[in-house]
Amino acid sequence: MTSGALAGVKVIDLTHHIAGPYATKLLADFGADVLKIERPGGDPARRLPPFHHDDPHHEKSLPFLYLNTNKRSITLNLKSEEGRGILLELLSDADVLVENFAPRVMPSLGLDYETLREQNPRLVVASASNFGQTGPWRDYRATEIVEYALGGLMYIFGAYDREPLKHAMNQAQFKAGTNLASATLMALYHQRLTGQGQRVDVSIHESIASALRDVINNYTYLGAVRRRQPNHTGDLTRLRAVSDGYVLPNPGIGAGLNWQILVDFLDAPQLDDPRFDNASARLENAEALGAILDEIFATKQKRDIFYAAHEKRFIYGVIDSPAETIENPQIQARNYYQPVEHPELGEITFPGAPFLMSGSPWAVNSTAPALGQHNGEVLGALGYDARGMAYLAASEVI
Amino acid sequence: MAGPLQGIRIVEMGQLIAIPSAMKWLADMGAEVIRLESVQRLESYRTDSLYHNDVDGEFWNRGANFYEQNRNKLGLTLDLSRDEGREVLRDLIAVADVFAENFTPRVIRNFALEYRDLMKIRPDIIMVSSTGYGFEGPWSNFGATGPATEGAAGLAYMTGYKGGGPMMSEIPYTDYTAGEHTVSAVMLALMHRLNTGQGQFIDVSQTQTCSATIPEALLDWTVNGRIQERLGNEDPAMSPHGCYPCAGDDRWIAITIDSDEAWYALCRVMGRPDWAADARYGDTLRRIQHREELDTMLAFETHTHDNHELMAKLQAEGVAAGAVMDSQDLLFNEHLKVRRFYEVVEHHPDTGMPPLPYAGRPWKLSETPSDPPKAAPIMGQHNREILAGLLGKTEAEIGELEESNVIGYAPLTPRGVRRPSLDEQVRQGRMQRYETNYADRVRKWFGIGG
Repeated sequence: MTSGALAGVKVIDLTHHIAGPYATKLLADFGADVLKIERPGGDPARRLPPFHHDDPHHEKSLPFLYLNTNKRSITLNLKSEEGRGILLELLSDADVLVENFAPRVMPSLGLDYETLREQNPRLVVASASNFGQTGPWRDYRATEIVEYALGGLMYIFGAYDREPLKHAMNQAQFKAGTNLASATLMALYHQRLTGQGQRVDVSIHESIASALRDVINNYTYLGAVRRRQPNHTGDLTRLRAVSDGYVLPNPGIGAGLNWQILVDFLDAPQLDDPRFDNASARLENAEALGAILDEIFATKQKRDIFYAAHEKRFIYGVIDSPAETIENPQIQARNYYQPVEHPELGEITFPGAPFLMSGSPWAVNSTAPALGQHNGEVLGALGYDARGMAYLAASEVI
Repeated sequence: MAGPLQGIRIVEMGQLIAIPSAMKWLADMGAEVIRLESVQRLESYRTDSLYHNDVDGEFWNRGANFYEQNRNKLGLTLDLSRDEGREVLRDLIAVADVFAENFTPRVIRNFALEYRDLMKIRPDIIMVSSTGYGFEGPWSNFGATGPATEGAAGLAYMTGYKGGGPMMSEIPYTDYTAGEHTVSAVMLALMHRLNTGQGQFIDVSQTQTCSATIPEALLDWTVNGRIQERLGNEDPAMSPHGCYPCAGDDRWIAITIDSDEAWYALCRVMGRPDWAADARYGDTLRRIQHREELDTMLAFETHTHDNHELMAKLQAEGVAAGAVMDSQDLLFNEHLKVRRFYEVVEHHPDTGMPPLPYAGRPWKLSETPSDPPKAAPIMGQHNREILAGLLGKTEAEIGELEESNVIGYAPLTPRGVRRPSLDEQVRQGRMQRYETNYADRVRKWFGIGG
């Protein structure tokens, strides 16, 4: 029996919403023991839509169920002296504390890094925040679209003649969550080698700004400011509508493109025309070319042209809906989507392993915990008996 | 003190972004990364987006994308189509901790570089392969680009203006998603090796890494049978929530109202007490019901404001708002300066390039920060250091490899891409504008001497 890469790693998880929980999910799905500590009202992500069968119940948020697999949950009011005391006790033999509060919150709870280090010098204290733990924007507020705007991805995203656009859903949060997992693992690796803990500071803003290819270099190398690209209808790599969806053509980029190969592949003699047979001519006649290409592609079918292209090693892509993604033979062959049994809701099919590890595989054994599901187990281990726990509950510590 | 990954040696057979970005971030944190390339097959990131758009001379040592993805690495050229080249690679693998590559499995099998081949050379090797659709399976040998996997994963389908078709970002976005997950994957494998002494094979599907980040859409389908509509910049739970025009050419601001307090603050800052008093907008539900009307009203107000000034005013009142930053805004940003996000890198003297700033990492480690960065290698820069210093090859052996072009210092068939002039690129709308005093501005802002 193989075990996850992080067997024996103990994580105290104070995270909420998306970025922090995705990081600790990655750790938990690869074997770490993750104890999620929620405020008595629960992680606000429990209110994130969509819900299981559209029932807006705090145990039925689908993103929450996905983001908190393999974790245990206790509730703890960190604003109370007892709650803080219990946290410090739990931290005394932990490897990692992960949090994604606004930067002013942890110190205001008396949980500044110095205090935590005193409690446990081996502890890795990993934080994700909107703009990092320092700097003039530290306390700026942000939402997903604000991170896209300030991170530089939005200005170059969308239609040339319209307002800039963001990706659907919560990509900035997931990017930062992935980076938080990576950086935490680096600090943990160092801890295993040296016994030394440290602070990890991940910025959601910088997670966007560090992944922009040569956009910044266009300025430092040339003085040029890149913008959303014009929709040149004749652009050969532009997304095209086909009869049953969209494909992303890619005839082999660059000066080496042999036009006749493209004409033959698309079976489109009307393209065999001096107006289109070299790059500058195509640019000149982009509109005419675009109109012909639109007509040709409209007669094709998505999967047919995709497979035909790859026979010739043209790197075509498909634009698939969630339903098509799940039916994709490649994704099915890899057993990507994984059914996980939820005690109340039954089987739920989740997106599975982001990557496959032969020696220490990804595994999801449980969906997210119910709020405070492990209060008894965890506090019992700390020596609280039934009366003690009743007291904590009555005084709203748990 | 240097990064936490000192002593880890990585041999990288990467191209473009997916693997090179991940190995760059590991190199930043102290790993020794030996980046392979060949003089026979010139990577496109060395041929395009060139410093000063100059294709003369050794242009392949002036490509922005190559510098962007290969910082802090050592460079070795090697022709792997030849036995002698593969023999050097096997010698390297014998002294490596990690072998990372992002070619198709067909190429890897042709070169006999599968995990089981490497294990014979180095039993505890960690191998990571990053492919568009995964190393195994019916699509495994299909080449892919970032946009293609953004499409296959389901993200592009969900993205786009309301009522319009699917859209995707104009950079190879999922290459980065895969790269970010690959850093985690390699760290997990290093942890596992620390515990057990064992290496392993990591199979990164770029599509799967992207799907892992869109559970909202995928679970709505698997559980509720619903395909969500494209929402553009809208958020179902907030209004106003969007991107609004500001004064100037192509200037915008993102504004999001997530509470009544934020709404009243917005009304104050925009000088519209009448909005605040209007019961039709009195709570979130009603503001959502009047979304289109509010968007129109707000856009009419924002379009006379400077986007940075308006952001500062809104943030001061607790409204989550952000100017849509172009590359110049981002480079000369005070917050990122204080955080030392950009790092100045010295280029090899042969390139004629001045020291320039590059984007750093999205994390900071307090006790094990990174060393000052080194530029990506010019072609073949560390051939001798690696072959003689690490593998103990003699001068004569190295000479033979050079003679037969197994290693080299310049591409055999160089062909650079000269882009249109900046005036032409602005005319075509590919660039918003350009400046002529940019070099001075960069020097001053980053305190670069000389």
